[in-house]
Amino acid sequence: MTRIPGVARMLTVTWWLQLKMLSASAFNGILQFVWPLFFATTAFLVYRQNGDPAALVYAGLGSAVMGLWSAIATTASGALQRERWHGTLELLVAAPTPFALVLVPITVAMTTIGVYSMGATLLWGWLLFGIVVPVASPVLFVLSLVVSVLAVAMFGFLLSVSVIRYRTAWALGNMLEYPGWLLCGFLVPVTLFPTWVTWISWALPPTWGMEAARQSSAGESPWLALALCVVLGLAYASVATLLSGAVLRSARRHATLALT
Amino acid sequence: MTSLRIFFIGGLISFRALFNWLSPWIYVPSLLIAPVFQVLLFAYLGRSAGVGSDAFYLVGNAVQYAAIPCVFAMANTIAGERQTQTLGIVLATPAPRLPLFLGRSLPVVVNGWLVSLFTLVVGSLILGVTIPWSSWGPLAVTLAVGAASCTGLGLVAAAIGLRVRETAVLGNIVFGVLLLFSGANVAVSALPPWMAAVSPWLPLSHTIAAAREIVAGASLGDVGGLLLREAGVGLLYAAVGLVAIRLLEASSRRTASLERL
Amino acid sequence: MPVIEADDLGRSYVSTTGILRRRRKTVEAVRGVSFEVGEGELFGLLGPNGAGKTTTIKMLMTLLLPTSGHARVLGHDVVAEPREVRRNVGYVFGGDRGLYDRLNARDNLRYFSELYGVRPERQRLRIDELLELVGLRGREDERVEGFSRGMRQRLHIARGLLHDPAVLFLDEPTIGIDPVGARELRTLIGDLKAAGKTVLLTTHYMFEADELCDRIAVIRSGTIVAEGTPAQLKDAVSAGHVLEVEAYGVHPDVVASVRRLAGVRSVSIEEDGQAQRLLVQVDQGVEVAPQVLALLDGTTVGRVVTRQPSLEDAYVELVGTSANGQD
Repeated sequence: MTRIPGVARMLTVTWWLQLKMLSASAFNGILQFVWPLFFATTAFLVYRQNGDPAALVYAGLGSAVMGLWSAIATTASGALQRERWHGTLELLVAAPTPFALVLVPITVAMTTIGVYSMGATLLWGWLLFGIVVPVASPVLFVLSLVVSVLAVAMFGFLLSVSVIRYRTAWALGNMLEYPGWLLCGFLVPVTLFPTWVTWISWALPPTWGMEAARQSSAGESPWLALALCVVLGLAYASVATLLSGAVLRSARRHATLALT
Repeated sequence: MTSLRIFFIGGLISFRALFNWLSPWIYVPSLLIAPVFQVLLFAYLGRSAGVGSDAFYLVGNAVQYAAIPCVFAMANTIAGERQTQTLGIVLATPAPRLPLFLGRSLPVVVNGWLVSLFTLVVGSLILGVTIPWSSWGPLAVTLAVGAASCTGLGLVAAAIGLRVRETAVLGNIVFGVLLLFSGANVAVSALPPWMAAVSPWLPLSHTIAAAREIVAGASLGDVGGLLLREAGVGLLYAAVGLVAIRLLEASSRRTASLERL
Repeated sequence: MPVIEADDLGRSYVSTTGILRRRRKTVEAVRGVSFEVGEGELFGLLGPNGAGKTTTIKMLMTLLLPTSGHARVLGHDVVAEPREVRRNVGYVFGGDRGLYDRLNARDNLRYFSELYGVRPERQRLRIDELLELVGLRGREDERVEGFSRGMRQRLHIARGLLHDPAVLFLDEPTIGIDPVGARELRTLIGDLKAAGKTVLLTTHYMFEADELCDRIAVIRSGTIVAEGTPAQLKDAVSAGHVLEVEAYGVHPDVVASVRRLAGVRSVSIEEDGQAQRLLVQVDQGVEVAPQVLALLDGTTVGRVVTRQPSLEDAYVELVGTSANGQD
């Protein structure tokens, strides 16, 4: 399984099937849509008071991407627990495919669910507040969104292997929802923060994905932001791969693969 | 069993039921770290929009976040009893309902109060908002009234939780409604008229207004009217909740739906 | 070269209890298990619940690291070369879990065929073949959540066979399945052996091991207490006979006294609703019926039967627990 096309196909098919599974779960859907909408609406109401239409557009685009982050923050930490509960974690580990390649499509599928929320938020902003997000370069814009989805998914990959030891992983993941919204510059320009905080923002892949989306929406060149997003995403994925190897060895030693 | 005993022992049981939340791995991220970040999120949002002061968002969100511990914990207490299948047993006791449920509410109120207080303190330190020493006493009282009032809403959620399984979704929606309508981040005067009309009928709206005034220098006496109205709202919801629980309990006896998980 | 080799395999768990004074407790789930399985053999690991069967199989499957000893599958060490082992091994376990409920049968197989390296051009054919083999043809577009346990088990087997492994590990595959379904599954397992696969089967159903396995290892409390073909195991207890007494309300002291009689090898009690069955394994040539009946004086006694020992008796004696009959 070392040929690139073979790996690409495997990643695509497994992503698609995981997405199918996640989409079938209607209950998740209600909250995934509605939750970011509460915050988006609040942001719109705040920005509306300042009278600058550009500010509303800023909030409109940013709050759409919020859904991507929420999707991963609230579910990625439970990814492996979910597999354990299905009884499939052992089968995934027992597969000859490297575990990182098994897990990445899962987190990408989880983030892809956030795209539904993204669409809902854009629609909501348009219907209720008349916010129209300009798309000067459609191709680059879509590319930025795709790259953002992948970047968030890589963060989710790291999150899912980092918290596997904790029974209360869901609480740790949930805790990251607000900080992500804040630090990735979805609603607020990261330059507003104290310098040391801005550095943290710049170390997060979604910050650059968001930046690229804004730039391509406004007709500016997003290539630097896209490049940084990809590089950071790969860095997170590498760390996560190393960590997953260590985590799995530990799970095999301590017999935690099958616990519920 | 005297009412007082029921009150305190019921409270102890509820306290232990809250034990789920008292695991530091859940408590710290969900009830201590998250609200502080909510404050920061909206404070920076305000700075970016050039609307409202840091203190405005600090107070608004510190109070509003109490909805999480108050509504969820109350609903969970009831749901928890349903899970351990003791709900039927509890409701079958001849114990008077009022002290029973009030006893269960007390730890929830105290917890909500502590969460708001903590958020206010830490948020003010991070944002550099100075709150005069003399205001902390009145603030503490105000936050307590808010927590109690919100717990009343929690009783209604608990009642609904007896019939509906997805209490988590319900709790999150209540939280979102309060976020939008209570004036936490948008002054009630700046809300669309229909939203502004709903606002005073929800818990926490008056508390937020009162707390903002205190931070601006008002005394407890000045905000007395607001606090009374808040207490009234809370009692209204508590009453509705208790009546609903009673009715649902009676109807469940007919349809045996209480223990259905 | 044996296909599966377990060499003094051991697995222990350390748990700490107490908050102030942390006490460490070591539980040895498996200790010193050694056996070999040759090519094309259907080998059974037979034992009661908690004997260490699943732990052993998981170590061979590379899912658990042994705490002592070694194991090799197809010549590859399970600790040092897990990838090579996984490429050539299929894992099937009993129960309801292990499949994605919200996907249909075909999608479940597609998912795992991607992960287990089935070549894309072969996939569709292979999936169809396997669905046919396990008798799920026509049900492949239904969601697994609607499947009965028997159907899930069959889908499990299909999944385990996707990448055409030379070795199959079956962990209690017929557990909780209705008798008819279980019989069909056993036929399937027999067919796998006929197709040349090497199979390691764990079970606590002794008749299943008897029916299917070329050789059986009886495992109890983490160690192997007997090994051999079903015939050999029966021979081990075939000298002598079994005295079976139906009784009502046998006092434990009576059981202890019977055990002390000369010539008695073992005594066990089977619960059969209100009644009990006292099973006494007796050495060859010794007559104990009168003494046993004398000891049972005072309790109501029903049928008394003397018979040849069966594999079940061998099993019961070896594992030292009372069998519950066959479910």
